[in-house]
Amino acid sequence: MSADPREAYASGTALPDVVTGAAAPGAGAPLQQANLWRDAWRRYLQNKGAVIAGGIFVAFVLFCVIWPIVSPYDITNDPLNFSEAYETPSLQHPLGTDKLGKDMLTKLALGGRISIAIGVGATLMILLIGVVYGSIAGFAGGVLDNIQMRLLDALYGLPYLPFAIIVLAIIGENNIWTMVIALSIASWFTAARIVRGQIITLKENDYIRAAKAVGARWYRILTRHLLPNTLGVLIIAIFLELPGVILGEAFLSFIGLGISPPDASLGSMAQEGREVYRVHPYVIAIPSIAIAMLVLCANFIADGMRDALDPRTRETKEH
Amino acid sequence: MTAFIIRRLLWTIPVLLLVILLTFVLMRQIEGNPFRRTSRAVSPAVQQNLERKFNLDEPWYVQYALYVKGVFTFDLGPSLVTRDRTVNDIIKEHFPKSLELGLLAFVWAIALGIPMGVVAALRQNTAYDYTLMFISNVGYAVPSFLVATLLIYYVSLKAGLLPTNGWEGWKYKILPSFALGLLPMAYFARLVRGSMLETLQQDYVRTAKAKGLRRRRIVMVHVLRNSLIPAVTAMAPLLGFIITGTFVIEIIFSIPGIGRYFVTAISSRDYSVVMGITVLTSVIIILANLVVDILYGILDPRTRDART
Repeated sequence: MSADPREAYASGTALPDVVTGAAAPGAGAPLQQANLWRDAWRRYLQNKGAVIAGGIFVAFVLFCVIWPIVSPYDITNDPLNFSEAYETPSLQHPLGTDKLGKDMLTKLALGGRISIAIGVGATLMILLIGVVYGSIAGFAGGVLDNIQMRLLDALYGLPYLPFAIIVLAIIGENNIWTMVIALSIASWFTAARIVRGQIITLKENDYIRAAKAVGARWYRILTRHLLPNTLGVLIIAIFLELPGVILGEAFLSFIGLGISPPDASLGSMAQEGREVYRVHPYVIAIPSIAIAMLVLCANFIADGMRDALDPRTRETKEH
Repeated sequence: MTAFIIRRLLWTIPVLLLVILLTFVLMRQIEGNPFRRTSRAVSPAVQQNLERKFNLDEPWYVQYALYVKGVFTFDLGPSLVTRDRTVNDIIKEHFPKSLELGLLAFVWAIALGIPMGVVAALRQNTAYDYTLMFISNVGYAVPSFLVATLLIYYVSLKAGLLPTNGWEGWKYKILPSFALGLLPMAYFARLVRGSMLETLQQDYVRTAKAKGLRRRRIVMVHVLRNSLIPAVTAMAPLLGFIITGTFVIEIIFSIPGIGRYFVTAISSRDYSVVMGITVLTSVIIILANLVVDILYGILDPRTRDART
């Protein structure tokens, strides 16, 4: 298995069973009960890159949520002020102003809110579709599984952008919800593979056989024993899917097919900046760097979580 | 091996039909038939003729069958907006530019990404490794429109070295293909590093070392070859990234490629063009998956049974 979770994820390789994987470190301390999540948290904290990335990520989310409330500027209701357009950073405007003389810092927080909302929404949608499709394939097995998987093999890598654009044209309205639908419609293939792989690995465990032996029905095995144990994988998957969705939203907005004004995401801010990049390059740079930062942090968090929830890959990495 | 290839080939046909059906059904949901604009008074006879010309008077499954027939005979029908042109004409004019852009991006990605990964793996946990992996992490995260804009700003406007936009000579092709190739480059670098490190742990590498082979030979013959297999499989998904990227890059650099045309076709409601381009990109991806699967089967015989 590849050492990099992104490649393993993209190729649809399931992670080894998190439960048995995490039980190993507890073996040295027989008196203390091993707790998967506590151990994972401890291991996560040992990974400096992931801790820093997590800190920046949380800080940026908090900034986006809180800053527009406490900011002295009100982007939607303040009067336009063209005499203050495209000001360079100053004490009043730490990131300068845009073409209407609005404070870029406050705008960045508002744009971040929308980008993160769409990103999280679409990621959850992707995982939901993935869990349903993947658990049907993994649990049913046989012909159904075969058909479902061959289909995924063939669709693997299908570019989401044309389909997202068509879906937006069908709905004819560009708000947060339609963006979520457009971005998840052709992006759930990998998530489905992961869930299916995980379910199949878990199905082989003795406790599933034991549950069957004592007469548990299939839905109880699925909901009580299988799905809860895919949680670790799904948490990692959130941070592996998030970058793609955030970038996808930015691309759509950048080519002018994103969320409708007056709402603006980070991508639509970048699009505004493109009109004036020859004179004021920072206007496109600020939202783009914010996007890059979110994506980079999400990647590092995913790395850290993978190491934390699956210690076996960590060992091979350190050789 | 032949059975594997035949099975894989046969399986591609229903998938193609399904993807065309999916696109077809999606396209029919879009409101606003270009021929039913209220502002343009059209006599019922003309309307009927138009519908007959574009087969709109047939039930949907007949239209679908006709469209599938068109796809397999390389005839994607007339454009709904540009009267005298067919979708084929438009694809013929714009697609080669996108293809060239995409291929050049792959050239950048392979030429820089694979050596980056090799160096990082051979010098694991050194400053080289950290610097290269930092570059690749950043390349993976920075949106291509920022890279493109910065390149235009610094290389074209400030330094005046290369043209800002257009698609005429080789000078015009350097910046867009580099901006597009950055993400696959970062991907290759990470992938090759990971798979090199894994291969370096293998017993046959230890055997080669024990035999006293020179390091250069071990790396070139035993490690590199086996480490590049994952890079081959990564080609198909990367193609998806590249196709997505061309939409943005072509708009920034004003390249008259198929991605830019797609965006204009959506706003002018030229649905036959939109559908033609979507089907074309999907077919390319499906065929790329097919080629990669077969190549993988040849390169690594262990996978033949696992995949149909």
